[in-house]
Amino acid sequence: MSAIGDVWSFLTTGSNWTGSSGIWTRSMAHLWISLVATTLAAAVSLPAAIWLGHRRLAPVLSVGIANLGRAIPSFAVIALVLPISISLGFGLGFWPTCVALVALGIPPIFTNTYAGIVGTPADSTEAARAIGMTERQLLRRVEIPSALPFIMTGLRISTVQIIATATLGALVGYQCLGSFVIEGLAQPSRARDRLLTGALLVAAMAMFVDYLFNRAEARLIPWRRTVR
Amino acid sequence: MDLDTAAIALNNVTKRFSETGPAAVTELTLGVAESEIVAFVGPSGCGKTTTLRMINRLIEPTEGSIKVLGRDQDALPAHELRRSIGYVIQQIGLFPHHSIRRNIGAVPELLGWDRKRIDERCDELVELVSLDPSLLDRYPAELSGGQQQRVGVARALAADPPILLMDEPYSAVDPIVREHLQDELLTLQERVHKTIVIVTHDVDEAIRLADRVAIFNIGGIVEQYDRPAAILRAPANQFVASFLGRERGLRQLALLTVNDLTTIAGPTATLTTPVASARQLAAANRVSWVAIGEGQQLLGWVSLHEADARWPDGSGEQATVADLTLQDFVAVVRPDTPVREALDVIVTSSSQMAAVVDDDTFTGFITISQIAGGLD
Amino acid sequence: MSAVAGFVVGQRTSNGRDSFIWWDWITRRPDEIWQRTLEHVQMTVVAVGIGFVISMLLSVIAVRWRWTYGPITWVGNLLYTIPSLALFVVLIPFTGLGFVTAQIALVSYTILILVRTMVTGLDSIPPAVREAADALGYTRLRRMRSVDIPLAIPAIIAGIRIAAVTVIGLVTITALIGNGGYGAFINDGLNRRFPTPIILGASLSVLLALIVDSALVIIGRIATPWQRIAEQRFEAAGR
Repeated sequence: MSAIGDVWSFLTTGSNWTGSSGIWTRSMAHLWISLVATTLAAAVSLPAAIWLGHRRLAPVLSVGIANLGRAIPSFAVIALVLPISISLGFGLGFWPTCVALVALGIPPIFTNTYAGIVGTPADSTEAARAIGMTERQLLRRVEIPSALPFIMTGLRISTVQIIATATLGALVGYQCLGSFVIEGLAQPSRARDRLLTGALLVAAMAMFVDYLFNRAEARLIPWRRTVR
Repeated sequence: MDLDTAAIALNNVTKRFSETGPAAVTELTLGVAESEIVAFVGPSGCGKTTTLRMINRLIEPTEGSIKVLGRDQDALPAHELRRSIGYVIQQIGLFPHHSIRRNIGAVPELLGWDRKRIDERCDELVELVSLDPSLLDRYPAELSGGQQQRVGVARALAADPPILLMDEPYSAVDPIVREHLQDELLTLQERVHKTIVIVTHDVDEAIRLADRVAIFNIGGIVEQYDRPAAILRAPANQFVASFLGRERGLRQLALLTVNDLTTIAGPTATLTTPVASARQLAAANRVSWVAIGEGQQLLGWVSLHEADARWPDGSGEQATVADLTLQDFVAVVRPDTPVREALDVIVTSSSQMAAVVDDDTFTGFITISQIAGGLD
Repeated sequence: MSAVAGFVVGQRTSNGRDSFIWWDWITRRPDEIWQRTLEHVQMTVVAVGIGFVISMLLSVIAVRWRWTYGPITWVGNLLYTIPSLALFVVLIPFTGLGFVTAQIALVSYTILILVRTMVTGLDSIPPAVREAADALGYTRLRRMRSVDIPLAIPAIIAGIRIAAVTVIGLVTITALIGNGGYGAFINDGLNRRFPTPIILGASLSVLLALIVDSALVIIGRIATPWQRIAEQRFEAAGR
């Protein structure tokens, strides 16, 4: 019970919210890096998956490789990119973390999009070709809409994972919600309030974004509502 | 129909899927006799499938009772009841992950038969449904639609259930295979004598297969329940008549045989008939030929055009038909020929009549008027 | 920070302490690598195994009682979104520093992945097959065991593949609380500003994922012989 009390008192202390290491600033930084990473991951994986999927190219290989990307430890990526980033003048916290998050975000978007495009009912693609659609029209009017539920799922999983994992950025000095966790860790005896608050805020942010995606899906994909 | 002796007895059965909505089946009372094939036909949404599914309790009735083989349906747990009722559906629903052998042996396996007995039964069943035994170790995906359908029937019959329910069993196969499978079912029925209920939207299928047909209207109301010929001859009401469609007469033809018609003597002469009398005989029948009979036998026919050509001046009055060329009679039907076929023979031959011959015994002629007369 | 920068900039002289990958350092440690591999595999197998059992139960419940699917995925989602690092820290006071804590975090991560794929798999069984099973007189349990679950194997395997590969990546983080298999290398490299173990740890992790993933594909193929035939037919029809 006291854990909840700790979090409550931390959250209700006004000074914890303001300033350059306050909840507000760090939340915004956390969201910002997540947004940048998700956008980059989508920019890389969406066109690739859509094109490969449309051409039905290398189904086992491409999905397999993308899947293996999940095994790359974000933690190691940050550690490896850090020195490179510094030496190239990109600085300490943001870019190493961002690279790791992009790597983390690619597999779900890629695999889901690919599966969605490939899974377009053969009847639909055949009918589309039969009425004289060009390949480009087929992709834009049939395959992408049909894959949209999958694409949204991929984006959602990636975003949620990225938000949760951006916490690690604090390890290399990026000021985000993870910083509360790291600061709490540094003094385990005294700072459980910081640590728990940081963890809960990250989870809350991830769940909120997840909820937003659900809403967006219902709006973007009206034909799916009837399915369940 | 006496419900007490029926193999399947529905008594005042009502099914509502929601409390406020309309009933899918309304106070239905209907009996199916043992070893009888009954077809439920009707437009979609008429509750025929719901009724079928209530018999094996895939759907529970809201009100009323259903007895199967004299026993109250609830006497057993649903799954045990179902093991004694074979079930065949349109999509067949074979287990894709089991070999054909295991698919066919599904119910015996549930009943705990030993392996050897199941295998023997499978061998028996593939023979019964005319399947190649080499298919037993294949998976369903490797079989054609017609083969899968046969496996579905074999699976339903595996534990020798006294009752077989079939829901649109042949709608997914092409017409040629369908007709073949329908024939097979009739042949099979001669061997197994099951009580069969078959749901279909195809009137012809119902007429072809069933001993009795129940015509369903929306709401699970049975408008008429009778032998196919009786329904075709006298539809109970406008709904039944319009459901049977404009081809009702043609459909009836499929059920009648030449035996059901009255024959006429037609332009029948003997070898000694003078040509002049033959001319009158032909004119009376509005044809230009006469048939030549000898006792009970039909020898053939002669053309009066030939007589015209040979005696253009009207001479040859002394001649008899024996002087003309005797030709074989082609438009011949048997008493058990379906009237639909006989009609075909009549309209495609130049004689405009078909001779009815039973084992060399000539019994007369039929024309389109006799067929039309037989429909009333 | 100059030391950090040093390990990237001031190297490439020889195959020595300063180079990006110091092969000698790796070849001198076969025993340690083997040890860490066993540890990594053990952590993964235990986590995916426990996750599988829990998820299977939850999926069956979710399919049987539809209304529970929402709450189950909601909880799964919550567990999925809590940063693993934070979860460790929250758990340490209760479960201590080590194996149990690491496992709780890893298992909780697999549940959402597994439940989603399993439920999708169970839902995608052709209704006609279910209806046939019911009509033939299968009890619910029997149908679940010999029809529903076998037919969901492809989806279940797909879920296990994702879960296993993800867990293999995540195990490295547990190095922070004293476990971690290959993560120990990464942690070591991070602490000493020494890239070789980081690369070693990350590469081995991906390699292990590749092996496990391939093994699962093979297991899936063996477990579903009927699929192969369906695929062949499909390919024959498609080409």
